[in-house]
Amino acid sequence: MAGWLDDRLEERGLDRADLLIWPLGMGVAVLWGLPFVWMVSTSFKYPSDVMTVDIEWLPSRVTLSNYMKVFEYPVLRWGFNSVVQAGVATFLCVLFGAMAGYALARMRFPGRDALFYTFLASLMIPTEVSVIPMLLGFVKIGWASSYQALILPSIGNVFSVYIFRQFFLAFPKELEEAARMDGAGPFNLFFRIALPLARAPAIAASVIIFTLNWNNFLWPLLITFDESMKTLPVGVAAFTPVVGTRTQIEGYSIAMAAVTILSVPSLLLFFFLQRYFIQGISQGSLKQ
Amino acid sequence: MAIAIPDIRIDAGAERREIDGAGYLLVAFFALPFLLFNILPVLFGVYVAFTRWSIVGAPKWEGTKNFIKAFHDQWVRVAFENVLFYGAIIVPCVTVLGLLFALFVNRGYPLSSLARTLFFAPTVVSATVIGLVWVWLLDTQFGLVNHYLGYLGIEPVPWLTSTRWSLVGVSIASIWWDLGLAFVLFLAALQDIPGEIIDAARVDGAGRLQRFRHVILPHLRPVISMVVTLQLIATLRIFSQVYVMTNGGPASSSSSPIYYIYNLAIVQNLFGYASAVALLLFILILAVTVAQRLLLREQT
Repeated sequence: MAGWLDDRLEERGLDRADLLIWPLGMGVAVLWGLPFVWMVSTSFKYPSDVMTVDIEWLPSRVTLSNYMKVFEYPVLRWGFNSVVQAGVATFLCVLFGAMAGYALARMRFPGRDALFYTFLASLMIPTEVSVIPMLLGFVKIGWASSYQALILPSIGNVFSVYIFRQFFLAFPKELEEAARMDGAGPFNLFFRIALPLARAPAIAASVIIFTLNWNNFLWPLLITFDESMKTLPVGVAAFTPVVGTRTQIEGYSIAMAAVTILSVPSLLLFFFLQRYFIQGISQGSLKQ
Repeated sequence: MAIAIPDIRIDAGAERREIDGAGYLLVAFFALPFLLFNILPVLFGVYVAFTRWSIVGAPKWEGTKNFIKAFHDQWVRVAFENVLFYGAIIVPCVTVLGLLFALFVNRGYPLSSLARTLFFAPTVVSATVIGLVWVWLLDTQFGLVNHYLGYLGIEPVPWLTSTRWSLVGVSIASIWWDLGLAFVLFLAALQDIPGEIIDAARVDGAGRLQRFRHVILPHLRPVISMVVTLQLIATLRIFSQVYVMTNGGPASSSSSPIYYIYNLAIVQNLFGYASAVALLLFILILAVTVAQRLLLREQT
């Protein structure tokens, strides 16, 4: 009997320890996901069912009232701001990054590599160093609490250039040559031939940069003085229940409804495009 | 999510000799916002750090006064000490757990893609989500964490409301948030190890631990060094969780350099001084990056 078991395991390259490791590891994985379950579960509970001594993993009584209450705040406006901010910044960053990545990989001009290494070296500068001076600058020119202020600083994300350059380095020369024979200029070459074939890096760069922009916190917090110009993460952060006040009693159910709304776009994007996330991140950082 | 460590490969895509002037134009679209919003503010920030600057009125040149003040400011000391504690908790936990999780998923058990999704998912949500979910989980009286610790006979821990525990509470949330990146980097590195090497070791009778120590670990050295550095830098920059979960409190016990910089600028309107403290943090981060590069070069 034991011999039979060992044989079956061996066929799959496993041994007896795996019989223990597998359930243990899956248990940890489920545990890792439980905070999300608790978040969603709390968001559907009546406030009076939230702060209880007994733990109710699934609400015994379900209500949508927390979601209704969330929408009494300007959540739709914040969501709109976030979509504009993350959407426009991501589109421009990916498009300009593709253009630069293509030029840096496929074209010859003096200073090309110096440019690329300048881009890379800038990764050592934490964005936090530039937020205070940038805040002063934007306030001086009267752009505080504006869409320009939310969007512009996110365009120069070097990750986009990097991932496209990697892709275009391995791009087959023949395609370009054929097009060049037909008299296509460099812009034509890029927009007609190169860009349409760069679907994979475009998706990877888009999902990762969109997620970064959607979640961006410090800069939108600093630059939006106006309640109506806040982005979703900054606006929702104000739902933190304050200890010892009424918001603490009602707070958690509303707060969990708000963060559920906030996390849905990034989680959906991740679930459906997981492959691109993981490939993009490992490509973007592993090649030393 | 921190991203991209340089690729040191100079590779001309095209073999043609002539110069492509259009290349400058294609790069310019990216280079312009990059210069204006990534580079210029840093240079401007260095200038601001040497001035007294509040939101109204003109800046006044003060020389190194801000820096001298920073060295004598006890709140600067508290913030930098705190961030070292954060690093001491978060960096080892993220590295070790991330590696263990990656080793598990890499074995290709049934449902391992589900495990991969679960391990990575927290990394894609915003700090606001992380912060609020964990404020609720770590609630002293009704939080899940204390509830289940109660079964082990542990008295309720005031995770976020006591000076003793607030740093630990914020660290727990940060580990949950940050682990996904380390996990994915380790997983990619593990998948790059040729299967034959591991099979050969198995045939030679190497047990699980021996295979890990002598075959897998040597391959992972560069990626471990990278994960430690990325995570250390991410932790030195810790802010949003702190802002959402504790506001740096109670009594600055969970404050961080960026939190203090934010406070100086937004609450106290001391922009010059805030920039000076930011510059000090930048120097610390630069030192970490350079140290990692040198260490890695020595090893390889």
